[in-house]
Amino acid sequence: MTLYALTQTQEAGGQIALAAALGVAGFFLLLPRPSGRFVPGGIAALLGAAVVFGSFLYRRFGDPMPNVIESVLFWMFSAGALLFGCVLVANKNPARGAIAFAFVILSTCGLFLLCAAPMLMAATIIIYAGAIIVTFLFVLMLSQTDGPSDENDRSRDPLYGGFAGFAFAGLVLFALYQTSQAADANQTRANENRLDTRFPAPVLNGDDRKALAAGLTELDAAAAQLDEAKTNADRAKVVLRFLAAQSHFTTVVGQSKEGKDNAGTIRVRLEKAPANGPAPAVLFRPDQQSKEALARAARVRAAGFTESELETALQKDKPDASAVKAKAQKLRDEVALLYGTGDLPAANVRALGLSLYSEHLLAVELAGTLLLVAVVGAVAVAQRKGVAK
Amino acid sequence: MSDPLTLAVIILALPLTAAVLAWLCAGNAKLKHYAHLPLVLACGTAAVLSALLLNQMLGAPEKTSYVSEPITWFAAGKLKATFTITVDALSAIMLGMITFIATFIALFSSGYMHGDKGYPRFFAVMGLFVFSMLGLVLANNFFLLILFWEGVGLCSYLLVGYYYEKPSAAAAARKAFLVTRIGDTGLILGTLLIWQLGGWHTNLNDVFAHIAKNPPDTAALTTACLLLFCGAVGKSAQFPLYVWLPDAMEGPTPVSALIHAATMVTAGVYLLARCAPLFVLCPDAQIAVSWIGGITALLAAFIALAQTDLKRVLAYSTVSQLGFMFLALGTGGAISPAFAVTAAMFHLFTHAFFKALLFLASGSVMHAMGGVIDVRQFGGLRKLLPVTHVTFLCGAAALAGLPLLSGFWSKDLILEALVEAGESKRPYSAGYFLLFVVACTAALMTAFYTCRAYLLTFWGPERIPHEAGHHAHESPKVMTVPLMVLAVGAVCAGAALQPFTHWFGDFLGTAPSLAQADRVQGARAVEHHLNWTMMGVSTALALFGVALAVGVYRNGGAEKAPTGLEPVFAASRSKLLVDELYYAVFVKPAEVLAFLARVFDGALDGVTRVVSSVPRFVAEAVRPIQNGLVQFYALSMALGLAVFLSFVVFKIAR
Amino acid sequence: MTLSLWHFLAVGAAVFGIGLVGFLTRRNLITMFLCAELMLQGVAINFVAFARYHGNLQGQVFVMFILPVAACEAGVALALFLNLYRRRRSLDSSDWQDLRELGVPAATDTEPLPKPAMEPDPVLTPAGARPTPAAEEVARV
Repeated sequence: MTLYALTQTQEAGGQIALAAALGVAGFFLLLPRPSGRFVPGGIAALLGAAVVFGSFLYRRFGDPMPNVIESVLFWMFSAGALLFGCVLVANKNPARGAIAFAFVILSTCGLFLLCAAPMLMAATIIIYAGAIIVTFLFVLMLSQTDGPSDENDRSRDPLYGGFAGFAFAGLVLFALYQTSQAADANQTRANENRLDTRFPAPVLNGDDRKALAAGLTELDAAAAQLDEAKTNADRAKVVLRFLAAQSHFTTVVGQSKEGKDNAGTIRVRLEKAPANGPAPAVLFRPDQQSKEALARAARVRAAGFTESELETALQKDKPDASAVKAKAQKLRDEVALLYGTGDLPAANVRALGLSLYSEHLLAVELAGTLLLVAVVGAVAVAQRKGVAK
Repeated sequence: MSDPLTLAVIILALPLTAAVLAWLCAGNAKLKHYAHLPLVLACGTAAVLSALLLNQMLGAPEKTSYVSEPITWFAAGKLKATFTITVDALSAIMLGMITFIATFIALFSSGYMHGDKGYPRFFAVMGLFVFSMLGLVLANNFFLLILFWEGVGLCSYLLVGYYYEKPSAAAAARKAFLVTRIGDTGLILGTLLIWQLGGWHTNLNDVFAHIAKNPPDTAALTTACLLLFCGAVGKSAQFPLYVWLPDAMEGPTPVSALIHAATMVTAGVYLLARCAPLFVLCPDAQIAVSWIGGITALLAAFIALAQTDLKRVLAYSTVSQLGFMFLALGTGGAISPAFAVTAAMFHLFTHAFFKALLFLASGSVMHAMGGVIDVRQFGGLRKLLPVTHVTFLCGAAALAGLPLLSGFWSKDLILEALVEAGESKRPYSAGYFLLFVVACTAALMTAFYTCRAYLLTFWGPERIPHEAGHHAHESPKVMTVPLMVLAVGAVCAGAALQPFTHWFGDFLGTAPSLAQADRVQGARAVEHHLNWTMMGVSTALALFGVALAVGVYRNGGAEKAPTGLEPVFAASRSKLLVDELYYAVFVKPAEVLAFLARVFDGALDGVTRVVSSVPRFVAEAVRPIQNGLVQFYALSMALGLAVFLSFVVFKIAR
Repeated sequence: MTLSLWHFLAVGAAVFGIGLVGFLTRRNLITMFLCAELMLQGVAINFVAFARYHGNLQGQVFVMFILPVAACEAGVALALFLNLYRRRRSLDSSDWQDLRELGVPAATDTEPLPKPAMEPDPVLTPAGARPTPAAEEVARV
């Protein structure tokens, strides 16, 4: 028995609208006003909004995470962020609001972790919770007023403000829904092309990462040995070690030699057919991740050692150790970046640092300058110039 | 310094510097009273330098023209506008005359204008006026010529309207400007036509050479010449555009002297003299020039007969004398152009002296009479103003053409040119005879009205208007000395320069343009000689006119008319109603048109006002949203963003 | 699907929306500022999710730059708040509405603020008068 028949889109739109309306109502009831507010009603409305929102997420987008633990964590952290966000907005006392904001930060940091961004988690906790919120609390202490006050006990247009905010958020959600539908349609089409994307191969699996890590260890050891190598015989051993490291990488990224073409595990896994000819390879996974991984792999391949090259460099009368070390360093960086691609591993801090200080160096410098200017500006602004009335 | 061109440039620069200095004096309360010094000194120096220049030109007869290096103003296609100046006999004589006259007028003005609140302004514009005229004389191409020509027009506007608080002065200035502008339009069109006919040259000498080598279609050339003549008619106050000159007396009297003698009105005569090589090629244009000159001479002399305003008499006399000059210019081609131009330029030269003198003397009278210039209100001033009286007499006698004075000689030359033209075998020779009769009549009238004005002012019972008060007295030295100098010039200049030595004619003949004009076919060569018959006729005319005036006005009485001629005098007094006619025919329709335009303009304005008030109303409606609340602004932004986003979601994403 | 971009984006949008509501309605400058930071957090969640989705680090780098910018903002804004507070003894953003169009009346709050719940002042009997004992005291005596 169906009382009503709705398309999926209408149903999703209805859910979003309902959640937004409940949110507006909740904030309208909860926001401070001189004539008093209806707290239980507000909380109930917001809870309703949260439930509708959650059901929308679950029904439209499915399970958030591959396994149960991660799913639970996602729901927990999201709920925390939203809950404490609401507390921040609705609380009369700004000091309590600041504390709520600290919890929001913690929750978002959890979400960061789920997104494989440990570095950001740490940085955000340190900078926000450790620095910014403390500064806020100091300012609050300096400017606290007793008793009811205009700023804490009144709100500016709660209805319009709530409407604007939730209309905006609802529209974004609806756009997300539309986009996901379109993406699903693409997926279906890809399936018809027998490109298995439902359960796609990972761009870098555990074996690859293990091989890369082993190669890196070997490379470091070889580089250390190169310093101590004095004789030609020692150097020959070093060459062997370099080549051993190189062979680890080669298994992953492949190698093109006359006669025996080695595609490497990444290409074997991601490309439908090994790219022998000039024709462009067809990817099993036509997404950004796999393209990126292939590009990185190509760069590692280009940076790799060859035997003859090493021998000419190290077996000469005048061995050129520094050039080899520079080359080893470069190879190392490329491998580290390759290691960081794919389903982001939790240990991507090294890659992030590399990316920041190589590809975004200028931006980092600019951000530092901005900080300096802001410090100077804040000092200049905060200087006491007159006597308070 | 000794190079004629350098001298010319210095002469040109001096009045401009004086003008700037006088203008700078205006800012300082003390310096204000010395604003005349720069101009007097500059004009004096320029006069001395001009004399030097003349001397050099006399000493170098083989090279008869100096042309400066061209300064390119702009070049566009065939048109290459360059600034060059030229010094030849014609311009050297003009330079000397202008600077000499201007010096004494400036000196006179320093006394006459003393204590006026616009003292520095007056001398600044005077300096600019003299500068423009000098530039006009020196210009070697049409661009520069038009530039300075307009400069002269502007300065005359400023000076005629010097007492701009007076509505009549403002109206007179506007009239002078507008009427001469009609002529200027012709000048500009003529210049463009000449430019095309003259092989796209802009320098005068190149144009003349080109036209002499490749004679263009006569009709086209005649049109061009007549258009140029149009400019001259406007500037030199010829019929039918003479009406501005009598009104121009609203300016201070020295300005009148300057306009009538040295600067403004001579420009037209100079233009035609300079372009003589073109005019001699078209007899049609030449007879038109002569006829216009003749009509003007007669008409203006007739109007001058019964005027009661002393300066107005002199103004009409100027118009009339300019008509004489054009009469002479028009004979070029029929007779030797050099002779024709000499006659005109010589009359211009002598006229400058006695007309400046007459105006300054009448200014002196006006000064003593407290600003009154109506001959009905004063009389018998010869005891009161002895110096002015004698000098005025000199000028008046010269103007009347009494024998041996400068006006006599120059007028003789013109009459002779007319007779010779009548005897030539060129077309229209009969017309020149007729014009001779006209000229004789005008000369008779000239003698009459000049003598009348003189008698009414200085003879009869002594009468002083009450505006003059009890201290009517002779003018100070600074005013009388220029009068005396000019009187000497008026008496002697004519006799000294032309009739016996032919110095003027010979020198003028060395000008290359005149030499070129002289090559015209079929012109009757005229020898410079003393023509006793002509002198007799001229003397008789002058004496008859004077005797008639003495007979009628011996005892004053401005309203009197010779018995039997009362209707004629009434017509003369009313200026033949020409002004009224012009008003009815031109001014009134223009006023009606202007009124219609104003109504139309008002309608358009109304429409635009309505349109322009729409944004104001809209603004009035939306103004309250700027209420100063930061959060309200943020709310507007968020709502706007939401609307935009909804458009994206519901329209584009579909 | 192994990764779920949509969930994170939706949560980010919701956090952003809540922050926006707070920014638009709350009048305490500091709360407003915290709400702005809340919006920034919503954006940061988006970036991080995208970084994970694409398998590269660009999004994380973006967030790395959001951090110093937010810190700068906080430093300067708090200094400004202190100055403002010194002038008016209040952190109400509606106190600062001088830059409005001429002739537009200032927005004023009509509703009176609730009286703070204060204890009644103690009342003493006049000196020399015999205090009227409370009922239970009488009973005790």
